[in-house]
Amino acid sequence: MSIAATHIDHIVISSNDSAATAQIFAEHFGLEIKRTMSRPGTGAHLEFAKLQEVVLEFAGPGEVKPHDGVTAKLGGVVLAVEDIHATIAAIRAAGFPIGDPHPAVQPGALFTGMKGGTNGVPFGFIQYNAIPIPEPSP
Amino acid sequence: MNVKRIDHVGIAVKDLEAAVHTYERNFDLKADSSRGGDVPAFAIHNAFLQIGGTDLELFQPATAEGPVARFVQERGEGLYMLSIEVDDLANAISELRSLGARVGDPVNGLAFVSMKATHGVNLQLVQRG
Repeated sequence: MSIAATHIDHIVISSNDSAATAQIFAEHFGLEIKRTMSRPGTGAHLEFAKLQEVVLEFAGPGEVKPHDGVTAKLGGVVLAVEDIHATIAAIRAAGFPIGDPHPAVQPGALFTGMKGGTNGVPFGFIQYNAIPIPEPSP
Repeated sequence: MNVKRIDHVGIAVKDLEAAVHTYERNFDLKADSSRGGDVPAFAIHNAFLQIGGTDLELFQPATAEGPVARFVQERGEGLYMLSIEVDDLANAISELRSLGARVGDPVNGLAFVSMKATHGVNLQLVQRG
């Protein structure tokens, strides 16, 4: 089976306060937070930093609830692939469950996740330049 | 501190040989035969699979004790740690300590950062070259 993954595209760090976790990584490791957004549909708060080809995605709730302390953990790994439809077909042919592709938060990209993960690791797959990028409204 | 890149992602597994087979079969990756094996300093057996400029490191506890063994016992298999490459490990450790973060002394060219400094993410610093 070949999923034709080219590289790790991003690594998700899940936090109960993603802005705070992104900030502590910025302070301690000199990372530059390049982008902040709310995920359409879920309202999740996302912050992004990039180290060469790999994006660190800090993901948390849109509204931070009262907590006893900020806690974060590694939440998943997303691999960049050349043809997400071929990747999905290959994974299904090998007998593993994987969802249908849907537009990612990255413009023009399609994403899908492997249900159940592999050895406990949630893996996702992303293909850039997979769908037309909508023209901005005038 | 000059953080250069994500060096590798560490994944704790129960059975290294089976996990390598799974990743080779599922993701068409190949274990790097020039690296990996027994790492007594960390009580693990490990293997590296390269994907682009970053590696996946799979490791199995080599003993019933130690942090990786505890992780697997308590949480099962899964994402264990992130390793980031810095250009000067000694300088990075010094800088983090000056910011109040606890950092272990280097072992095998690696240093672990206290999870208090990362909100709980297990993070390792490494210097290559």
